[in-house]
Amino acid sequence: MASGQPNPPTLTEETLVAETRMAAAAPVPTPAAPVVGPVANRSVMPFLGARRDLIAKMVAVIAALALWQASSAFLKPIFISTPSKVVSALINLIGNGQLPGAFLRSLIEMLIGMAIAAGVGIAVGLLMGRIRLVERALDPVVAFGNATPSIALLPVMEVWFGIGTSARVAFIMVICTWPLLVNTYAGARAVRGRYLDVGNAFGMSGWQQTWKIYLPGAMPFIFVGLRIALAVGAVGMILGGQEIGQSGLGGLTADFGSYSETADLVATIVTTTALAMFLFGAFRRIQDWRFPWIAATSAGRRQAK
Amino acid sequence: MDRSNLSRKAASQVIDPSTTSLGVSPSAPAGPGTAPDPGRQILEYRNVSKTFPGEARTVVALDGVSFSVQEGEFISLVGPSGCGKTTLLRITDGLETADEGEIRLDGRALSGVSREMSYVFQDINLLPWRSVIQNVELGLEVRGVPKAERRSRAMEVLEMVGLGAVASVPPYTLSGGMQQRVGVARAVAVRPKVLLMDEPFGQLDNFTRESLQVEIAELWQKLGTTIVFVTHDVDEAIFLSDRIALFLPEPGRLTEIVDVDLPRPRTDYDVRAHPNAIKLRSYIMDHLRGDRGVRP
Repeated sequence: MASGQPNPPTLTEETLVAETRMAAAAPVPTPAAPVVGPVANRSVMPFLGARRDLIAKMVAVIAALALWQASSAFLKPIFISTPSKVVSALINLIGNGQLPGAFLRSLIEMLIGMAIAAGVGIAVGLLMGRIRLVERALDPVVAFGNATPSIALLPVMEVWFGIGTSARVAFIMVICTWPLLVNTYAGARAVRGRYLDVGNAFGMSGWQQTWKIYLPGAMPFIFVGLRIALAVGAVGMILGGQEIGQSGLGGLTADFGSYSETADLVATIVTTTALAMFLFGAFRRIQDWRFPWIAATSAGRRQAK
Repeated sequence: MDRSNLSRKAASQVIDPSTTSLGVSPSAPAGPGTAPDPGRQILEYRNVSKTFPGEARTVVALDGVSFSVQEGEFISLVGPSGCGKTTLLRITDGLETADEGEIRLDGRALSGVSREMSYVFQDINLLPWRSVIQNVELGLEVRGVPKAERRSRAMEVLEMVGLGAVASVPPYTLSGGMQQRVGVARAVAVRPKVLLMDEPFGQLDNFTRESLQVEIAELWQKLGTTIVFVTHDVDEAIFLSDRIALFLPEPGRLTEIVDVDLPRPRTDYDVRAHPNAIKLRSYIMDHLRGDRGVRP
């Protein structure tokens, strides 16, 4: 869709901004510039061609793994284990079903928590952006809730929902709601400034404007909110698993940690990272598939201004 | 203050029943069938005033503006920034409210947004999540036109502005000039009685602007719609208009309405070099600078 874009459409808005800034500020490649991105056209190793970036990334990963493996020569394995032990732990934990079970449980809790948070956050954020009275009424409440350190709410969830799945889901939901709400609200306000006249000029009812203008217009902000919610939600997922009845991936980390099963622990952490990255990737895919205009126009608009 | 036009034309306020319901009737063709009745006044401004109170200073955007627009006419509102021309257009469409005075469309006082007029924005404001044709369908959707008819009417106007081939692409892939053509198509699709255009070519480069001026002149002749056109480009106003309303700032006010005595159709570019156009241009420039010129 983004055929007119000089950058690949998979880039996020943030990287696009960063890159346009870089390109504007440093037309001559500086020695400090990284080997990726449009700035580094003067290639370090031109014979590698287009695969240069990929090869650079692989070299970095392999070097890190090699260093890690070599660290066993002077560090006790209990500290950070070694890649080879982690891999065998991973195979073992997948084989006995412990890791897949925990993965699924955590994934489901995460998705349910985030889905409820998205429903509440987007609905309230839109309401605040649409109705001045709601905006004024909820402004202090949102400021207060958003500023509350969400980890402090974990025991509250235990008190309300006991020490089961519902408490963990509720915890994820509570901490994910704020970024979604605040970003949707910001998105609705941005729409108010940009597209409000269009809705009014065509004589749209308030309801039509909400559905046809405000909700789609706020989508770029909602996706930013989703990504932030995912980051804090992943923390909530692990923390909830550790603290509320030891369950899922969080429960496994607590378990392996307390027995100093470092290889198993690292294998679980790697799985957790994989889960978060899977969700990040899925959101990005959904955005590019259903809302290709977000990546395409945010870059265009910034270039125009 | 030359209000002679107003008094001369404020004769009758006939309401034509065939034009009171907008667009929803499938029988009304988008072509020249609307049969404008020149001389009949369609839009009437009566003592319209608007003040924007501010902390630093209060701006009188419009100070008692009165004039009328005839059916089928192309009238431009011209003046320097801050003269209230855009504010007047926004009040006409109900995007702002006047502090005083009233605007009558077909003899009926307007309140709120009128569905019988459409607006073309300077910053175009196409919705990027909709394809080109979906953008054009927007007004029809709001008016409850059934989907199939919506599609065919939108396609019809898109073809009229030469964009039938890009109906299904997202609008941000189009050039600025093409985007504004979509903006015009979106406004025209609902078959408005009056088309309000707010510096529609202000963001375009010179070449694109001039070709769009020719296109809009052709479209206006084809449709027979009344157009109220805001611009600060005097040449653009002369090229397009039947009459030009001159506005001056602080306070924003209508000072004079001049007739444009140039042959139609003006699709020929040479019309800009016509002696009448040159005389009119220097008269308008003098007037807007505050000098008293000799009327052509």
